[in-house]
Amino acid sequence: MAVYRRNYKPYSGGLTATWSRWFVLFRYSRRNLFRSKFLTALFVICFFWPLICLCMIYLAHSASFLQQLGLPTGVLSIDNKFFYTFMWVQGVLAFLLTAFTGPGLISPDLANGALPLYFCRPFSRVEYVLGKSSVLAILLSQITWVPGLVLFIMQASLAGPSWAWSNLWIAGSLVISSLIWIAILSLLAMALSAWVKWRIVAGALLLGVMFFGGGFALAINGVMRTESGHFFDIFYLMKTVWNAMFQVDADHAIPVAQAWIALLVYCTICLGLLMRKVRAYEVIK
Amino acid sequence: MTREMMSVWWAQIRAVVRLEMRKTFFAKRGLWIYLVAALPVLIFMAYAVATASEQNHRMSVVRQGEKRLTYQDLLAVKSGMTQEEVIAILGKPPIRFHWTDRRPTGDGTTGPGSTVEVSHENYHYSDGQNDLFVGLVNGEVESINIQEGSNPGQDSIMFAEVFQFFFLRLAIFFGCLGIFMNLFRGEILDRSLHFYFLAPIRREVLMAGKFLTGLLATCVIFVTSEVLQTVAFLWHFTPGARDVYLYHNHGLEHAAVYVGVTVLACVGYGAFFLVAGMMFRNPILPAAAILLWEWINPFLPAVLKQFSVIYYLKSLCPVDIPSPPGMSPVVALLVSNSDPVSAPVAVLGILIVACIALYASSLQVRRMEINYTTE
Amino acid sequence: MSDRIVFADVSKFYGEILGVNRVNLSIPPGITSLVGPNGSGKTTLMNLMTGLVKPSRGRVQVLDYRTDDPENLFRILGYSTQFDAFPKGLTGFQFIYSYLRLSGRDAQTAEQMAWRVIERVNLVDAAKRNIAGYSKGMRQRIRLAQALAHDPKVLVLDEPLNGLDPLARSEMIALFRASAAQGCYVIISSHILHEVDVISDQVILLSNGYVVAEGQISTVRGEIQDHPTQILIRCSRPRELAAKMLEEELTIEVSIHKDERGLLLKTRDTDRFYLALNELAMNGIDIESVAPADDDVLSVYEYLIGNEEAVR
Repeated sequence: MAVYRRNYKPYSGGLTATWSRWFVLFRYSRRNLFRSKFLTALFVICFFWPLICLCMIYLAHSASFLQQLGLPTGVLSIDNKFFYTFMWVQGVLAFLLTAFTGPGLISPDLANGALPLYFCRPFSRVEYVLGKSSVLAILLSQITWVPGLVLFIMQASLAGPSWAWSNLWIAGSLVISSLIWIAILSLLAMALSAWVKWRIVAGALLLGVMFFGGGFALAINGVMRTESGHFFDIFYLMKTVWNAMFQVDADHAIPVAQAWIALLVYCTICLGLLMRKVRAYEVIK
Repeated sequence: MTREMMSVWWAQIRAVVRLEMRKTFFAKRGLWIYLVAALPVLIFMAYAVATASEQNHRMSVVRQGEKRLTYQDLLAVKSGMTQEEVIAILGKPPIRFHWTDRRPTGDGTTGPGSTVEVSHENYHYSDGQNDLFVGLVNGEVESINIQEGSNPGQDSIMFAEVFQFFFLRLAIFFGCLGIFMNLFRGEILDRSLHFYFLAPIRREVLMAGKFLTGLLATCVIFVTSEVLQTVAFLWHFTPGARDVYLYHNHGLEHAAVYVGVTVLACVGYGAFFLVAGMMFRNPILPAAAILLWEWINPFLPAVLKQFSVIYYLKSLCPVDIPSPPGMSPVVALLVSNSDPVSAPVAVLGILIVACIALYASSLQVRRMEINYTTE
Repeated sequence: MSDRIVFADVSKFYGEILGVNRVNLSIPPGITSLVGPNGSGKTTLMNLMTGLVKPSRGRVQVLDYRTDDPENLFRILGYSTQFDAFPKGLTGFQFIYSYLRLSGRDAQTAEQMAWRVIERVNLVDAAKRNIAGYSKGMRQRIRLAQALAHDPKVLVLDEPLNGLDPLARSEMIALFRASAAQGCYVIISSHILHEVDVISDQVILLSNGYVVAEGQISTVRGEIQDHPTQILIRCSRPRELAAKMLEEELTIEVSIHKDERGLLLKTRDTDRFYLALNELAMNGIDIESVAPADDDVLSVYEYLIGNEEAVR
């Protein structure tokens, strides 16, 4: 039937509440992400290490089983170093997951000129960024602090309340260190995605920023005989902060406070880049 | 294959190169490659400026000194010497800092919390090339720190470290990734590849033209970077020291080899990324895989090592990097050349690896279809 | 030596999605139109013809050339695609010139040929401007210029009249006709059915990846035996004629034209209907003209593909 012959009927159903409207973006972006079989497989792989850790915790409290295996009972110690190692492995996996998911969040919208469409709906820029970043935030949370807390609770239930109370700070460290890492990765991925427009190139750039930054830091340190190069290495900065948070002994080339400030500066730069590009209009030259 | 056909192919290759050159060299999205190539130059420039400024300071210390010192004089100062003995050997310190602080006595003779005043002095001497920092506590030498000045011989190791660890593995790697993957994948994303596919040109000839463009662009960018790095690296040395290094200590030879290695790196990585850009819709995966493969190369068994570019490139590098005590074992392994091959084998190895990749590209380019909607 | 564009049992699947299925065609010289709704497989057919996509099954041959031999194929074939993207930073002239240089021509020849074809598509004034600044119609024309630049024997044009103003359209149609008159193969896909009807020597109707009809429009129409044909008869006494025609079993529907000077009839057997009409004319009914009212592409399209899709 020709369009002009149809009677126009405006939508008369219920509307999503204003405060939760950005959640629509989350729902659809997440659904799109999991259409990729590779990403689904990667997401599943991200749970292998937590499962191994879970087994290790169980084994650490199963003296008889360890004896059957011929291992001394104290071979597995579940302490801050254990959770720190857990965090490292999951942190790297979170980075990989971000490299494959993050760039696809904003760049297609920009490349296809979809932002004006979003913003002519009742969406603000903040809600848009919130909706998109929540995809990464929830995805990365599922593989970092959520399984981390599960491990902590498991350990606490097996080791008893005294262990739990005296090590409660580890749970806090797990959550906070994960959230910082998630914030940095999300902002970096989205800022690059917004500036590069090409999903693939943005992904490559994220890999580049992380690996190249590390190499550049080492080159500066080597040539200039300094340690300041580490400020270009986000992995190193994060490691410095995590070492402090999990109270793991390590030589820090730069003070923890400076590492915190550097990470904050990176986040601010990314946020600035993001807000500069996420606009309801685009200047086409 | 007639001569006429060859001349048409050559004309077509030149046409492709002309078209691609503009895009490869002047595209806004490729600016980061220039930045990547410029970073090591900037590092060496900063080093040259810092070293020149250090040298100026050192010379002013020498001018302020009571007598001209030699390196042997600086080494003569030993821990435990008195202030007078130090001044007897080196003269009055040109630069001297003095301060006092209080330290707990800790001998049990006085009450808890009691302290004693300690006098600190720092002397700074220089022979014009090296610096000596002497720390005295209550008139006795407690610490000695000799900072050796730079010389081209020593700095060439630092240059080799940066070249192998940063320039080859990261700058050229990512630069080639950006340029060569863009040759086909970029046009698919731009939806303009059909322009070439609609011309009466063999797909293999098109691929050759694009590869040549990529090679030309990467070689120009990274060889220029390499030459500028060498210039920046030698900038702050005296003309005499430069001449000795360049003409008597194989400096010129090393520079030429580095340029050669840079070109071979562009050939090797370029061929890899060309085929990856054609075969994979998302080239990040192969790029990450190649990056990982190149980085774990030192840990691989001998047979597998041969299937990488960095293995041959490392063998061609003219300066062996010793593992200094401070260097982490992983970095030491990455820059060490434990199992090198001879130069002809290395060059041939890279060319064979590149040829295999180009052969795979030629097969792939024939199979390529224009189907932008799936991108 | 073949003088046809041949599709032999050609199928193309994009993963699980059907592009075209079991296409058997033999396209002669002249203007051939591919007609069908969106997604019916017109562009796929053209891409198969030009080697931009490879058939999943079957074989496509353009005169003497295989489609996987672009080096020779594109010496005789020009393709104006629907892809609205161009190599970045090129002016209209550079676009054509580069294309001709890519085909191995020397600078002087390429320049002469480029200007000649730019003149043909009426873009001389804009030739030195960047394509990025072109209007839709200008982009369409520069694409046509690319297809025509090397005087190909086979012209494949995907929606070539899209975005063109009426004057440019008639110019282009004249250009296609001139090419066809010279013995070229002009294959056009279009939604503008009126124009297709006017310019086509033959038509290929596509629906959902299948060729549902091919040949001259009148032939295609004649093949649809079970669908009534509509005939317009102009006469001075339409009501009388209508009454007489209804007496014939052949007529299944009659309606008087608005101006009362003609009538529209529907019949299933055209040949017998015309014989009966002749007899009536000889018996004193004054008939001015007789013409099939739906012997055009739109009607055929509607019958074969359905009214809903024709409207799209």
